[in-house]
Amino acid sequence: MSIKLEQLCKTYNVDTDFPVHAVNHLDLEIKQGEFVAVMGPSGSGKTTLLNMLGGIDTPTSGKVLIDDNNILELHDKQLIAFRRDNIGFIFQDYSLLPVLTALENVEFVMQLQGHSEEECRKRATDLLIRVGLAEHLHKRPAKLSGGQQQRVAVARALAPSPKFVMADEPTANLDAKSTAELLDIMQQLNEQEGTTFIFSTHDPRVISRAKRVIVFEDGLKKEDTIQAESP
Amino acid sequence: MLLKLAWRNLWRNKLRTSIVLGAMVFGLVGVTLMIGFMNGMMDNMISNAINWQTSHLQVHQKDYSADPEIHKTISRSSQLQVQLDKMTQIKTWASRHLAQGMIASARSTRGITINGIDLQKEALITPLAQNIYDGFWLDDKGRNPILVSKKIAQRLKLRVGSKVVLTFTNKNGDVSGAAFRVRGLFKTPSSAFDEMNVFVRKADLKVLSGIEGDHEIALLVNDIKQLESVKRKIHVALAQSDSVQNWEELQPMLAAMSASMASSNIIILVIFVLAMGFGIVNILLMSVFERTCEFGVLMAVGMQKHKILQLILLESTFLGVVGATLGLLCSLAALSILKVTGISLSSLADGLSAMGLDTLLYPKVSGSDFALIFITVVLASSLAGLYPARQILKQEPAQAMSEKH
Ligand SMILES: Nc1ncnc2c1ncn2[C@@H]1O[C@H](COP(=O)(O)OP(=O)(O)OP(=O)(O)O)[C@@H](O)[C@H]1O
Ligand SMILES: [Mg+2]
Repeated sequence: MSIKLEQLCKTYNVDTDFPVHAVNHLDLEIKQGEFVAVMGPSGSGKTTLLNMLGGIDTPTSGKVLIDDNNILELHDKQLIAFRRDNIGFIFQDYSLLPVLTALENVEFVMQLQGHSEEECRKRATDLLIRVGLAEHLHKRPAKLSGGQQQRVAVARALAPSPKFVMADEPTANLDAKSTAELLDIMQQLNEQEGTTFIFSTHDPRVISRAKRVIVFEDGLKKEDTIQAESP
Repeated sequence: MLLKLAWRNLWRNKLRTSIVLGAMVFGLVGVTLMIGFMNGMMDNMISNAINWQTSHLQVHQKDYSADPEIHKTISRSSQLQVQLDKMTQIKTWASRHLAQGMIASARSTRGITINGIDLQKEALITPLAQNIYDGFWLDDKGRNPILVSKKIAQRLKLRVGSKVVLTFTNKNGDVSGAAFRVRGLFKTPSSAFDEMNVFVRKADLKVLSGIEGDHEIALLVNDIKQLESVKRKIHVALAQSDSVQNWEELQPMLAAMSASMASSNIIILVIFVLAMGFGIVNILLMSVFERTCEFGVLMAVGMQKHKILQLILLESTFLGVVGATLGLLCSLAALSILKVTGISLSSLADGLSAMGLDTLLYPKVSGSDFALIFITVVLASSLAGLYPARQILKQEPAQAMSEKH
């Protein structure tokens, strides 16, 4: 499975005198199994790009092709089901559900897929322990620090075993140790299960681990380089 | 999970939810008391009319009510009375000899119905004998004793022992009259009845009218459910020229009011539910729109729109169920207090007695009224969730998520 963008544009404030071209005529292909970092200054359009890759935002023009099928032509229902089964999101502001505990937040997305309660409980617990939240399973997001919430968001994105993970600055609030741990988990998933990761980031620690780095500026792709595996 | 989510969402803003619930509770207590009060009033009016005036059934000559002339007596009255005594469903009956006439004192005159009554039987069929508020109930002693109402006594400046003259048309069409002495003053719940009726001994009146027989027989049945079957039985026993009527036929206004009660209760309920519905829509709009971002996340992680709709409707239904339950519980509490104490309206006594009402009313709300209120409130509040839900589901996830509150 691959995601391909063709002449993709996203323009905000189209009808005004100052339209913002958050993504500007972008061609890009991401194949399954890639580990991509999108880097660029704030406001360069990284979040917008990830949202369109994940099918939660409609481009102003252009195509988003999944295995040559344009997802923009899918019905709402099909698109939502596609996202549920194939795309995991780690949002920049975490966007956890405040009335659910850490564990419930993770279970919830698995339940949407129709897994049994025990299955959800088991996998959600495992994942939360792996991201280092064994002590905090039953706390609601308001009781967790920014970094802890971010780790819940990571567990939530991974829980439904998606093929693609859109990670919007997933390490922004993490210390070096946690960052390394999370990157280990993701790298492991990438290598063992072929999960594709697309990061937006400023974080050199992430960039150094990425197999491919795309430099993004003013909605345009400036550089696109394949990095040699670091030893 | 959906239930859990909806329930927790409902209690997210505790203050706001409590305020809506408070409004619902107050509104519901108001509505049930209002309905209870109206029902109680109607019941009281009907039971007063039956107790004091119409009884359950009355027999007259067919066109007596249209034109009450003194010669229109019930045929075969004495045979009929023997038959009535044999009917086990009948609790008691009393026959009356009536005359339309005038009562005159030294001060004034008034048109009235003169009720010639059978003392023992009349005492059983209406509470009149126990409600003489000055003087005494009629007895066999003395010449021409009469009971007048407090109202007439005031108008004609009468006291117990005063003399009055009754005049009416006798069987020959001549004006006949006689002096009576006030033995007692009565007061019924209905001022209209009081102004129109005086009571004398049947035998005294018969002597003056020169007519044998009775104009009216009033009956009470043992079980109100058997009213119609008793009515049919009596109808069979009657002569062609006579008729038997139930209280609804005797008081058509009251019957019509009682019938329209149900619909007026529903109107009160609908107005309340509409007002409450708008309040709930308003609250839900606020609580849903301030969570726009969250609904965006739900769509992004793959929650189908119909599930989100369910979630919002569940929240509004929970609100309705909690509000209706609390409201009805409080209403029940208020009603059970008022059932004991009654609602005292003595300051309105004059107006009430014009409608034939007591000054102490007991509210009454039936189980089916409660069920109706509960269902309407819950239904209205769940529907109130539809509009905000529709607004939310129109949006793209990313667009929804970018909305900050
Ligand atoms: N909903 C919106 N309405 C209008 N303009 C928007 C909207 N969302 C983003 N933009 C604009 O589009 C541009 C790209 O925004 P985007 O959030 O994609 O940047 P970003 O690279 O993710 O930045 P950051 O590193 O700060 O997260 C910015 O100039 C921003 O102002
Ligand atoms: Mg961003």
